[in-house]
Amino acid sequence: MLEALLEGLLLVLQWKPFAFMLAGIGIGFWVGLLPGIGGATTLALMLPFIYNMQPVEAFAFLLGMHSVVATTGDVTSILFGVPGEATTAAIILDGHAMAKKGEAGRALGAALASSLVGALIGAAALALAIPIVRPLVLTFGSPELFMLAIVGLAFIASLSAQGARGMVRGFLAGGLGLFLAMVGQDPQAGVARFTLDTLYLWQGLDLVPVLVGLFAIPEIIDLVVRGTSIAGNVPAGRISRGALEGVKDVFRHWWLTVRCALIGTFVGITPGLGGAVAQWMAYGHATQSARSPEERSRFGQGDVRGVLGPGAACNSKEGGALIPTIAFGVPGSTSMAILLGGFFLLGLVPGPDMLTKHLPVTFSLVWTIVLANIITVGACFLLLNRLTALTAVPGHLLVPVILVLVFIGSYTSNSSYADILVTLVFGAVGYFMVLAGWPRAPLVLGLVLGKIAENYLYISVARYEAAWLTRPVVLLLLAIAIGVILYPAFQAWRSRTRKAAHA
Amino acid sequence: MKWKLALIAALAVLPLVAAAQPNFAGKTVTVVVGYKPGGGYDATARLLARHLPDHLPGKPTVIVQNMPGGNSIIAANHMYNVAKPDGLTIGTFNRNLPIAQLTRVQGVKYDMTKFAWIGSAANEATILAIRNDLPYKNFDELRRAKEQVVIGSTGPGANTHDFPLLLKDLLGLKLKIVSGYSSSADIMLAIERKEVDGRAGSYTSLKPFIDRKLVRPIVRARSTEAGLEQLPIDESFAPTPRAKAIMALRSAPEVIARPYVLPPGTPADIVKVYRDAFAATIKDPATVADANKAQFDLDYTSGEEAVRILKEVLSQPKDIVDEFSKYIKFGE
Repeated sequence: MLEALLEGLLLVLQWKPFAFMLAGIGIGFWVGLLPGIGGATTLALMLPFIYNMQPVEAFAFLLGMHSVVATTGDVTSILFGVPGEATTAAIILDGHAMAKKGEAGRALGAALASSLVGALIGAAALALAIPIVRPLVLTFGSPELFMLAIVGLAFIASLSAQGARGMVRGFLAGGLGLFLAMVGQDPQAGVARFTLDTLYLWQGLDLVPVLVGLFAIPEIIDLVVRGTSIAGNVPAGRISRGALEGVKDVFRHWWLTVRCALIGTFVGITPGLGGAVAQWMAYGHATQSARSPEERSRFGQGDVRGVLGPGAACNSKEGGALIPTIAFGVPGSTSMAILLGGFFLLGLVPGPDMLTKHLPVTFSLVWTIVLANIITVGACFLLLNRLTALTAVPGHLLVPVILVLVFIGSYTSNSSYADILVTLVFGAVGYFMVLAGWPRAPLVLGLVLGKIAENYLYISVARYEAAWLTRPVVLLLLAIAIGVILYPAFQAWRSRTRKAAHA
Repeated sequence: MKWKLALIAALAVLPLVAAAQPNFAGKTVTVVVGYKPGGGYDATARLLARHLPDHLPGKPTVIVQNMPGGNSIIAANHMYNVAKPDGLTIGTFNRNLPIAQLTRVQGVKYDMTKFAWIGSAANEATILAIRNDLPYKNFDELRRAKEQVVIGSTGPGANTHDFPLLLKDLLGLKLKIVSGYSSSADIMLAIERKEVDGRAGSYTSLKPFIDRKLVRPIVRARSTEAGLEQLPIDESFAPTPRAKAIMALRSAPEVIARPYVLPPGTPADIVKVYRDAFAATIKDPATVADANKAQFDLDYTSGEEAVRILKEVLSQPKDIVDEFSKYIKFGE
């Protein structure tokens, strides 16, 4: 095993695979920065280039590209409040809030460092999981997947404001998200639900236009109304200074970063849960680390922990997602499905053989993730001053550029004008939610988990009737979900008793 | 003065030459795909876009444009109503679109038989495969099964759903269909963990798992591929002519599994150029080599044949269509 590990590293470090990896990183860097253009689409577009490559070269190219998309996607999310990728929306809440306070440098430093830690942990998990991957993935049947979705939804409790009023608003927003997830042709009876008699809505609401609308449009309006730069009146020289501070934040909150990275890995391993969930669950977990309600209320206004959690989860999930792809030939995400096509092109059949006969190739994948992330994070740090300086550019110069990117980004998801319309509608929804103090995160969580919850509940009942309720992992997950919901109440109670003890 | 005359003469002759043989030199041909990047329709289109230029006069640039939505009805409507019949736009979409037209799905604004058909780049053989460790080795044993066999599906309209549904309802197989899996890969994983006992799907997508001895093929639909000749056909067990007609109707579009069309009203000479180019591209050893690498089989079905099949599908008597609509919904 150790031999294979080393052999894998040497495979990647040959000059040709390494050069291809650098090319891939270069492409992935821009794809991540530009909103809308997703990693999956780019992978599909790049697939024809690998016909004449060797397996290791091809994977260095594809995976190198894929594993940096999330990292640079975070950069766009933090600087402009525009989700660079559908999977990097959660980092906006605190990351962009920090940028608005003139702490773009610290936020980027924290995001990049936690991304790196996340990628390393994800890759390590992939390497360690190789011997036990089959039983691990097979433990999670449809009932367990349904309960995982419920645990995810339970995080709404942490993503909402404190108090009864905040909770009600949070769960109502989550309910709206679940409702929006129902749009489209249902997979049981084939009935078109809430499609407003349009073909566009047949396949459901696309995540990218919704997210871009919900998060980017309110920020753009805010920027125009304020009439300043993103960082307000903070002098340009100070903005980039905090990068090192951001890196230190990762070590200050080391275990939080590690735990969020593990959440990401786990979401990645579980096929069918989808990458967009990882950041939100990690963000929800990060808010649980607040020790008092006052501390909790600072989340969303630029708490660095709200950057660390999503940053770590977003990159660690890629290592995790490779696990079912390699071990079963069953992709954990759209990108992985396309990567699977790449395996076939190269004459490799994913499956048990990848864990024995082709083990060095498998490890070369792990190393590609590690090296690509180190290189990208390094490059980002070199560019940090230039990047953060963008938050000091006056709004009236920046807004037109962002608007163009936002609308092109939405339009690329279906190449339909309806994409723009969806962006505008959810832009209005997002703006009024911000105005009225309703949290947007639960809505997104409901939207990304709704379909999963519905389908796996149906499958569980159809397959096992009521018997699935007594499966041990289901009960364990149920306990976790209840714990997650009650945790904020527990936090409030603890701080009250503490205050009482002081008084 | 002389060179000017020569130029005028040349300009005057140029359109005549063009009329004699369509020439795409310096032009860009767009392939409109009714799905997002990543799936089988998209992969086939991108493969053809690589090799088609070698066989079209004037070696045009061929690019792929994705136009997803409405299970690719949007792309078909675009090809029918918007795209110019100048040979610079070709379209490929869901093979089940004739079913959408037949069952009068809302939003359909095309008539399948009026497209200028280039043909199909592949056919798809749908099979039912069940876990190797089940005691049923062939169709007869499965038919005599006492216990229910659970089949995972992605949802109505997909071959993972419709094929076993007809086996169950028309041939009386003891199947229980559990739908809602997000992809056929997810059903495969459910088979690995014994949550379901089998699935239907294209032979191409199931072949790696058959080779790995996880599942074994039991029965197939009419369309066939090399290596499946021995497998029994669902229609041969049909108890009534009507049941047989419904099964035949479901499987008819599978022969034109990767349909390629030009807009209605495209001049005949351009259509001919494309039909010849497709036939040649799909036979081209370079194309075959790339297709083999990507693990899909290409098989050209001519435009004439495609139109013949479509006319047959779309001219079914009303009672058959009504009966058919009870089982089959358009989707995916």
